[in-house]
Amino acid sequence: MHSLGRSSKLISRRLLCSRFSALLEAATHVISNSAGHKPRPYFISVVCGFPKDFETSNYKPGKYGEDSWFKTSTPNADVLGVADGVGGWRIYGVDPGEFSSFLMKTCERLVHCVDFNPQRPVNLLSFSYCELLEQEKPIIGSSTACVLVLDRENSTVYTANIGDSGFVVVRKGRIVHKSEEQQHYFNTPFQLSVPPPGCHHRVLSDSPHSANTLSFPVQVGDVILVATDGVFDNIPETLLVEILKEVEGVTDPVKLQMTANSLAAIARALSFDKDFMSPFAINARRNNIYATGGKPDDITVVLATVAV
Amino acid sequence: MSQSSTTSSEDGSKRANSESVAVDSVIDFKGKHFGLESTSEDSDDYLVSGSEGTMIDVERFCHADYRIEQYAHSVLDFSSQYGIDLSISYTAPNITGRPSKYPEYGDFPQTFAMRTYGAWWERAPSRLKEIQPQNVSEIPAEDFIAIFETYNPGAVIRVWAYTIAKTWICLWEDKEFYTKPLYIPSRARRFTPPLKRIQLPTKTIRLEFNHQRLHYYTEIDAVLLSGKKFNTRNMQHLLDYYERQRKGSILCKLQNMKFRPICRDNYQNRLQHFLMHDLDKFISVLSDVQIQSIQHQQQQQVQSPSTGEIKISKIGLKNMPFEIMLKIFSYLDLKSLFRVGAVSRFLYDVSTHPLLYSELNLKPYWHLASTELLSTLAKRATILKKLDMSWCGCTVQTISPTEFKKFIQQRGDSLTHLRLNSTKFLNASCIDTLGIVCDNLKELSLRNCSPSPPLLNFSCLANLKNLERLDLFQTVIESDLLLTMLENNPKLKHLNLGKHNKEYEFTLYLITLYALPAFCSVAVNMDDVAQHIAKYNKQLISLDMWKAHFLSAQGLLVLSNCHNLEEIDFGWCLREASLGDSLREFLTQCTKLKKLFLAAVRGLTDRDLEYIANLCPNLEQLDLMGVLGISKERYIDILQKCAKLQLLDLCFCDNIMDYDVALWSRTFKVDIKSCQVPNDFR
Repeated sequence: MHSLGRSSKLISRRLLCSRFSALLEAATHVISNSAGHKPRPYFISVVCGFPKDFETSNYKPGKYGEDSWFKTSTPNADVLGVADGVGGWRIYGVDPGEFSSFLMKTCERLVHCVDFNPQRPVNLLSFSYCELLEQEKPIIGSSTACVLVLDRENSTVYTANIGDSGFVVVRKGRIVHKSEEQQHYFNTPFQLSVPPPGCHHRVLSDSPHSANTLSFPVQVGDVILVATDGVFDNIPETLLVEILKEVEGVTDPVKLQMTANSLAAIARALSFDKDFMSPFAINARRNNIYATGGKPDDITVVLATVAV
Repeated sequence: MSQSSTTSSEDGSKRANSESVAVDSVIDFKGKHFGLESTSEDSDDYLVSGSEGTMIDVERFCHADYRIEQYAHSVLDFSSQYGIDLSISYTAPNITGRPSKYPEYGDFPQTFAMRTYGAWWERAPSRLKEIQPQNVSEIPAEDFIAIFETYNPGAVIRVWAYTIAKTWICLWEDKEFYTKPLYIPSRARRFTPPLKRIQLPTKTIRLEFNHQRLHYYTEIDAVLLSGKKFNTRNMQHLLDYYERQRKGSILCKLQNMKFRPICRDNYQNRLQHFLMHDLDKFISVLSDVQIQSIQHQQQQQVQSPSTGEIKISKIGLKNMPFEIMLKIFSYLDLKSLFRVGAVSRFLYDVSTHPLLYSELNLKPYWHLASTELLSTLAKRATILKKLDMSWCGCTVQTISPTEFKKFIQQRGDSLTHLRLNSTKFLNASCIDTLGIVCDNLKELSLRNCSPSPPLLNFSCLANLKNLERLDLFQTVIESDLLLTMLENNPKLKHLNLGKHNKEYEFTLYLITLYALPAFCSVAVNMDDVAQHIAKYNKQLISLDMWKAHFLSAQGLLVLSNCHNLEEIDFGWCLREASLGDSLREFLTQCTKLKKLFLAAVRGLTDRDLEYIANLCPNLEQLDLMGVLGISKERYIDILQKCAKLQLLDLCFCDNIMDYDVALWSRTFKVDIKSCQVPNDFR
């Protein structure tokens, strides 16, 4: 065991400066496990989704219509994120997807910065927001956002959520954690926004610090779903749990991808179903709005399981 | 075939000219073998022999055939960047790691961009005159380094490496930079200059840029180093060897020669005797020999076909009057001046005359500047007027702050121009001394002088009362001190407060966006400065507040008191919704305006552009980058009414097409910048 440790140091010194860092990580995984260190969990994650205008649009990586997502990992953390651009900007000639796309891409870049703190995903959102203002090309629009970070050191997930996107954690067939929807009023979620100059007063703009933050420990085999409101407004919770509990403890990414695909497909099918009482319709009725059927919207599904 | 080998190490630092970036990596260069006879093959031992220039076979220090490629790991230092400190857009850290946008071409925020471009700043009213311009010339100077340029390539002019022997060596220099016109197609470029082969492993790369001939900002995505890995176990031998080398070639030869003079008894007496009696005879015999040989030569000349009387003149350089010699030497750069002083006593006397040292520019010699140099210069420069020590002392602590302080104390009282941009040897007592001793200062430039954590206390600068130019770009000083300095210097003509914001202000700025009243008082920082300027510095000609956040329309309004303003840069300021009448008021009062930069002032409207067109007849440079919602007619209006316009920056503006820009550029003879970045940047 001792020589194994020493040889691992030699190997790591040789490999440290080369491109084989992935190999190194796998090697240290094996070695550290055999040396009895604490197990470090990681995400096996997949993505699927449909833009609202699926039949007529082209696929663009990282976006589904006005929704956007990212997933990345560092040696210490795994990060997932989704953002839903507010569609109302279209009538002002602004592309709503630009804002959410920029937000997610900048979050991804920030994760790889030196000062990334896995325990404060809110910082990701606020710095990403500040970066928006430092762009030469002016970016206007607004979007909701949800960022989820797994800190490998202590097997804890830290989340930050603004608006009506969200996440759900399923363990042993039950939902153990989920995010709360933040809305000002019906169909108007909390949103990060950069209005055009002169329109500050007319536009809803929420601070990144108004995000809901949650943190909780996770166990191996937990299923985590991060999605935009296209999923949560169309799939009832019971159906969601039914689907998600199938993949508990699954480490095969192909199986996971199949589940994610079916989730997205179900959401899309239900959204165009005119008679189905979707959660959106139920919510609308609670607010004295007579609505039936699903809500056609962009659908983004980021599905992950925790493994060691 | 350039077979430079690079050894892997952790960091990278880049330095750039107006910009520099330092990248750490240990670079080991395989040298040529000139008649090298190595008698030992043992890797722990080496013997060097050879006729000229001893070279060492460094190859044996490398791991055989293990080539690696590495990208820059971290940035040690830079002299300017376009983005603000905590941002990841257009900042220096973007040059580390793999290239993110290459081979795409365009203006991407994921790259490293610098503050200025082209020759436009030389044409502005605030242009600087180089101190001792004859110093800035080409430096004589021969695996690979690849620089990924994604926008407007062609700015790199020198590549330096910092060796283990603690010296900087220039690996490549663009010798034709000043003579040949630049043509590089507008495409992303992976630039691999041919590097000079050196024998030393190095740990740091520095890039120097000169953007004079560039059309627009240049942006760099990554720096790649490739080569062989250096075996650090043998480093000590190499270091010792080069330590010995540094002592000088004669000493080295002596050491190698194992020379021991054989002295007879009482040699001391004999020496004295010789010096007292025989030396004069010796010299006269020598000069006789010399005269004879000259006569011999002249006789030969006389014998050759002549066109008339040949004047045999014995007048040479050493017969010139002293003043003529001074005039001739005043054209020499500093290095040549020192060299010429080593020729003879007479030339030494001329070359050390204080009149030749009234202006000193040590910026081109940043890699050689040391404490010894400073003390030597202190002895000669008794009437020092202008001093430029920019870039000296960076990452290599060869100038001690105490020595600099002594230098200033001795020679600082006659200083009128002082430039200490990007220096790393300044500490609190240096600044104190500056403030106390140099009260005749007319120009003070302290660009990029705030290391983090900030350790400089600038309060003694409040003593300076004669300032005409103050440059604090990227340097943060306490606002009280700044206000006091503004009050004390009514003759101030040029002021640069670009990027004048502390780190924490970045997050506070975020909070002020949500108009939390509790924090508003911090937000009016620059407005205070503007008020002071309007009250005390009415002679101001140029003001640069680029990215000095927290300037509001109110500040703009009060600045209209400075009627002499010719140049103003409000880029990335004035973030509020609309400027109201402040711009109109300002333009009405400041009619001499030649340069107006309003990049990313998003609140500009058609009306504001109307004012610009109607109220600025003398306008030469106008920057409207990133301003949305302006109609095409306004641009045409400006182009028509501002007859002297030379530069118009319309990047990221809407409502204009490429053919519009081309047409306007031809019709009005104005350099118009525009670029369209694809909407979905990755």
